[in-house]
Amino acid sequence: MKLGIFYIIGLVLLTDICDTISQLFLKSSINSIDLHINTFKKALELVIRLAKIPVVWLGFVFSGISLCIWLFVLTRADLNFAYSVDSMRYILITLASMTILKEKIGTIRWFGIIAVVSGIMLVVLG
Amino acid sequence: MNSPRKKHLTLKILLILVSIDLLETLAQFCFKKSALSFSNFQINSFLDVLNFIKTIIPSGYLWLGLIFVVLIFITWSTVLSRIDLSVAVPVCSFSYITIPLVSMIFFHESISWVRWMGIFLIIIGVILVSMSSVRRKECP
Repeated sequence: MKLGIFYIIGLVLLTDICDTISQLFLKSSINSIDLHINTFKKALELVIRLAKIPVVWLGFVFSGISLCIWLFVLTRADLNFAYSVDSMRYILITLASMTILKEKIGTIRWFGIIAVVSGIMLVVLG
Repeated sequence: MNSPRKKHLTLKILLILVSIDLLETLAQFCFKKSALSFSNFQINSFLDVLNFIKTIIPSGYLWLGLIFVVLIFITWSTVLSRIDLSVAVPVCSFSYITIPLVSMIFFHESISWVRWMGIFLIIIGVILVSMSSVRRKECP
């Protein structure tokens, strides 16, 4: 069974939103830990401390939901089309970083992100 | 007093981000290898997906791929402790370049000129995003 085009776009955007939420939870938790990492041992320490934060696990749940929806989309939709819509995740993550994490995004970064998104569209559609 | 934290992209972090992309490519390579060895499996429903995962559990490539995923998480967390999410995510799009290249070399898939153009645009984009996060020389 093939799905309608707007249905597919909606589902793919839903996976992107779930992934964005997951990344936001991870990044904000890492920001709150504020550990300076210069050795592999320190990196492991960071991961262990992250594992004690419930929000990080909630992020994993969102990633899991995203993966399930994505696998469902892949069985019902044209792969290249699904992947091209998926590149919207870069825009979503940038907007979320800007509004929620208060990251400063200048013109050059926006141009770079738009170039990456257009590049991905060409790679997956070409 | 805490010293101000470095939040800009350095060459070291850029190299770590590239290594994440390489690990990601290795992971995808392993998953593709393990899936290919069971390519006669028909997937029509969600239950089939679960059955498929059950079938490939003994595959060594699957576990190797999962080890790479764990390594990616450790490295990714480290990178995020140093730079903005809005820099880390686009710079990590190198895997859109490495995965077609690996597919071309190991799975004999072809790359069209449109794809090459896309690869070129991604590289330009990654350079621009990286530039936006590099510390500029402070003016006196």
